[in-house]
Amino acid sequence: MATESSEGEDESKMVGGNQQLMVEDDLREMANKAAWSVSSCKPGNGVTALRDDNLDTYWQSDGAQPHLVNIQFQKKVKLQLVVLYVDFKLDESYTPSKISIRAGDGFHNLKEVKTVELIKPTGWVYISLSGNDPRETFVNTFMLQIAVLSNHLNGRDTHVRQIKVYGPRLNPIPHQPFQFTSREFITYSTVR
Amino acid sequence: MEAMLIDCVQSSLRQLMYHNAIFMCERLCAEFPSETNLQLLAGCYLHNNQAYSAYHILKGTQLAQSRYLFAISCFQMDLLNEAETALYLANDPNAEVPNGAAGHYLLGLIYRYTDRRKRAVHHFKQALSIDPLLWAAYEELCILGAAEEATSVFGEVAALCIQKQHRSHEVANQNSQASSEDDNLVSGINFGSEDVSSRDVRHINAKIMRDIPRNYPGAVMSGGAASQPLNGRAANISFYSTPSPMAAQLSGVAPPPVCKNVQPNGPNPNAVNVDGSPRSTVNSTIQAPRRKFVDEGKLRKISGRLFSDSGPRRSTRLAGEAAVSTNSSTTTVTGNGTSHSSKYLGRSKMSSVTFHSVTVRKGQSWENESFEEGIRHEVHDDSRSNVTTSSSLPSGDLRSIEQEVATMPAGEVVMSSSRVVTGASEVLALLRTLGEAYRLSCLYRCQDALDAYLKLPNKQYNTGWVLSQVGKAYFELIDYLETDHAFSLARLASPYSLEGMDIYSTVLYHLKEDMKLSYLAQELISTDRLAPQSWCATGNCYSLQKDHETALKNFQRAVQLNSRFAYAHTLCGHEYVALEDFENGIKSYHSALRIDARHYNTWYGLGMIYLRQEKFKFSEHHFRMAFQINSHSSVIMSYLGTAFLALKRNEEALEMMEKAILADKKNPLPVYQKANILVSMEKFDEALKVLEELKEYAPHESSVYALMGQIYKRSNMYDKAMLHFGLALDLKPPTTDVATIKAAIEKLHVPDELEDTM
Repeated sequence: MATESSEGEDESKMVGGNQQLMVEDDLREMANKAAWSVSSCKPGNGVTALRDDNLDTYWQSDGAQPHLVNIQFQKKVKLQLVVLYVDFKLDESYTPSKISIRAGDGFHNLKEVKTVELIKPTGWVYISLSGNDPRETFVNTFMLQIAVLSNHLNGRDTHVRQIKVYGPRLNPIPHQPFQFTSREFITYSTVR
Repeated sequence: MEAMLIDCVQSSLRQLMYHNAIFMCERLCAEFPSETNLQLLAGCYLHNNQAYSAYHILKGTQLAQSRYLFAISCFQMDLLNEAETALYLANDPNAEVPNGAAGHYLLGLIYRYTDRRKRAVHHFKQALSIDPLLWAAYEELCILGAAEEATSVFGEVAALCIQKQHRSHEVANQNSQASSEDDNLVSGINFGSEDVSSRDVRHINAKIMRDIPRNYPGAVMSGGAASQPLNGRAANISFYSTPSPMAAQLSGVAPPPVCKNVQPNGPNPNAVNVDGSPRSTVNSTIQAPRRKFVDEGKLRKISGRLFSDSGPRRSTRLAGEAAVSTNSSTTTVTGNGTSHSSKYLGRSKMSSVTFHSVTVRKGQSWENESFEEGIRHEVHDDSRSNVTTSSSLPSGDLRSIEQEVATMPAGEVVMSSSRVVTGASEVLALLRTLGEAYRLSCLYRCQDALDAYLKLPNKQYNTGWVLSQVGKAYFELIDYLETDHAFSLARLASPYSLEGMDIYSTVLYHLKEDMKLSYLAQELISTDRLAPQSWCATGNCYSLQKDHETALKNFQRAVQLNSRFAYAHTLCGHEYVALEDFENGIKSYHSALRIDARHYNTWYGLGMIYLRQEKFKFSEHHFRMAFQINSHSSVIMSYLGTAFLALKRNEEALEMMEKAILADKKNPLPVYQKANILVSMEKFDEALKVLEELKEYAPHESSVYALMGQIYKRSNMYDKAMLHFGLALDLKPPTTDVATIKAAIEKLHVPDELEDTM
C-alpha cells in the first residue's frame, strides 16, 4: 500500500475532468482481452460496470480500503495512459480522491508507478504512466493495479464508472525499426 | 386443359407474376402429373427464389433437363454433392452431361467450390468447346489460372463450331428433333439479376435494332417503330414458336402446332379456339411481350458489358431445352418465349445469390455472359406458327435476320449462313480481346492487360465492366491515382453496378481519402444493402478511422451475405491482425484461400502474421506463394526480401530487394528495406548512400532520418546522428518512435560525457 511517493514518483494534483474522451490517434485501448478483477464489490455493481461503456453504471466497492482494480494481461504490454471516469457531483463521498497505479508481473511484485490526487473531478481523468525520461514513455508490464487509497469526504467505499487503458499501436509492418509517416511510404507499405 | 394451363403458366412467367405462375403450375401438375410439367413447376420455383421447393419436387427425376434443374437447386442450396451426382453419373461417366455447355459449366463450378481444381478446369474447357461463346466458363478458367490464350479459344474453331450449331439447329428444327446442340448453345451462365428493364430502355435507345435476333423482328420494330406488318408476321411466327416449344415440352407431348401457337397469348384466350384468327389477335399481344424480348435480346447482346442477367437466359434456355427435346427448337433464345424471358428474369433473381457470388468474386461482371446470351439468342426459333414448317433460326447473329424475316414465308425464319459467319466472327473478335485482357489481368500482367483493354472500341471500353477491370489492373500496378480515375469513370458509366467496388474502396483506403470512401460506402449501401461489396466498402471506411472492431463487424456481414466472396474473408483477416487476434486472422485467411487459392493478398496476409509471430520459415513460404501468383508486385517482393532478412539470408534478401526496386521505381519501401539489410550486413556507407537517395524522393519521411541517425550513431558520427534524430523528431513520428529516438539521443550523450570527463 504505497501511499506516499516512493522511488521518486511524485504525487500530482488533478482538478476537473473532461466530459469528452479524447485520446491520440496512435494510442489504442489495450485491455479488452485482459482479465479484470476487483477487491470487493456490491452485488449489482460489479467489475463489468467498469468496462461496459456506460457511464450510468458504476462499480461500487464493499470492503476495506484500499480498493483495488486488477488488470492482468496475457503477455507483457506497453501501456501509456489510464483514463477513469469519476464524477464528484453524482457520487460525492464515493468519489476517489487518491489513486495509486502499480505495475508488475503479478500480485507479488507490484511496484508503484504513479500516484495522483483528484480534486472534485467530474468526467474523464487522464493519468499518464510515462516517466520523465523518454525511455520511460511506456510501462511494459504483465499486470496493472489501480488502487483507490482514499475517497472524498472520507468516504469508505468508492464508485468508479469507467476505466480505459491505452497503449501504443503496433507497427503495421513488423520487423521495422521505425514506423512510416509520409504518404508515399504508407501507400506502398501494405497490401490489402 | 393441359395446354391451357401451360399457356397460362408461361404467360405468367413471362410477365413475372410468379405467384400466379406457381399456383397455376401446381394445378397443372396435380391434374397432369408428368415430368415435364414438374420441370415447369421447378422452373417457376427457381424464378421465385424457392430453390428448396424445386429441390424437393425434382428429387430423383431422371430426365436430362430435370437433372439439370435439380442440380441448379442443389447448387443454390449449397448442396454441392447432390448437385454433382445429379449432373455427373459416376457409374456412367460417358453419359451426356445434361444441357451440354450449361451442364459442364455448372459442374465446373461445383468442382471448383469443392476444391477439385483439375476437374473444374476440365469441365469449363468442355463447356467452352461445346459452346464457344460461353464467356463465364472462360472467366472461371482465368480465375483458376488455367486459361489458354483467348485467340485460340475464341478463334477459328469456335467460329466453325457456331456455324455448325446453327446449321444443325436448322435441321433439327425442321426435323423436330431435340437438338442437343441447343443445349450447347445454352450458356449456363447465371448472372446476378440486374434490372433488365432499365437496361432495355437504355439499350433500345442506344443500340441499333439490327441486333435483335430474328425472333424479335416484331419487337425490334416496335422498339424502333418499324415495319409492323412484316414484323408482325414474323413476330407472330416467332412468337408462336416461342411459347409452343415450351409448352410442348412441358407437356411432354408434341402438341399440334396450331393449338400451341395459339396459346402463347395467355391474355388472349380467344385465340385458343381459333386457329387462324389468332394471328391478328396474337399479333397485338405479341408486340408487348416481344418488346420485352427484344429488349432482352438487345440487352443481352449489347449490354454484353453491363451486368445483365444471364440468369434468365439460362432459364429460358432451360425451358428451351426442354422444349427442344420434344419439338424442335428454339432454344432458349429469347424468342422463345415468354416463358423464357420470364424465366430469364426470374432466374436472374434466383441466381443472384449464388451466382452473384460467383460472378462477383473477382469483380467480374457477367455481362459478357449476357453478351453471350445475346448471341445465343440464337434464336432457334421454332416457328411453329400455325404452319408446320418451322425452321430454326440460328441466332446469334446480330445483324441478321430482320430483313430476312421479312422475306420469310410465314412461319419460317431462317438465318442465312453468311450472317451467322459474320455475326459469329464479330462476336468472337470482341470476346477475343476481352478474354485476352481478362486472362492477362488474372495473371497479374497488368500492363499487358491494360494494353489489351485499350484495343477495344470506345463503345465497349466505356462500360462499367471494362472500366472496372481497367481500374483493377491499375490497382495491381499500385498506380492508385489512375485506379481512382478509372473507377470513378466506371461509376459514371454504370452507377448501379457493384462489381469491383470493393477494390475501389480499398484504393480509397490506400489513398486515405476518407470523404470519398464514406461517400462511396453510403452510395453502395443505398444501392444494395445485401451485396457484400457494399459492406466491404463500409468496413474499409471504419478501418481507415482505425475502428477495427466495427470494420470487422462489417466484413463479417459481407461474409454472411455471400460466403463465397473471397475478398470479404481476406479483409476480415486483415482486421483480425490489426486487432492482434492472430488465430482468427489465420482462420479467415484460410477460408479465403479455400474459395480462391490465387488470391495473393491472402497469402500475403498469412505471411505477415507469421512474420509477426516470428515464424520466419512459414512467413517466407507464404510470401513466396504470393510472389508466384503475382510476380510483378514490388510490395510482395520487398516483403519476401524482409522474410529473407529475418532468416538471415542476406544475399537473397538483397537480390529480392533489387528486383523489387526494378519492378516499380516509385515504391520507396524496397529501397528502405535495402538500407535495412545493408545496415544489418554492417555496410554502413552503402546504406547511407541509399538513404540519401531516398531522402530526395521522400523528404518528409521520419523513418529515413531516424535510420540515418542510427547509422551515424553506430559509425560514431555523433553530430550527424544528433542532427538526423532531430530531423526525425521534427517530422512527428508516432509515440513509440519518439520514445526510441529520444532514448537513442540520450544514449548519444553518454559517450560525449565520457569524453568530457576524460
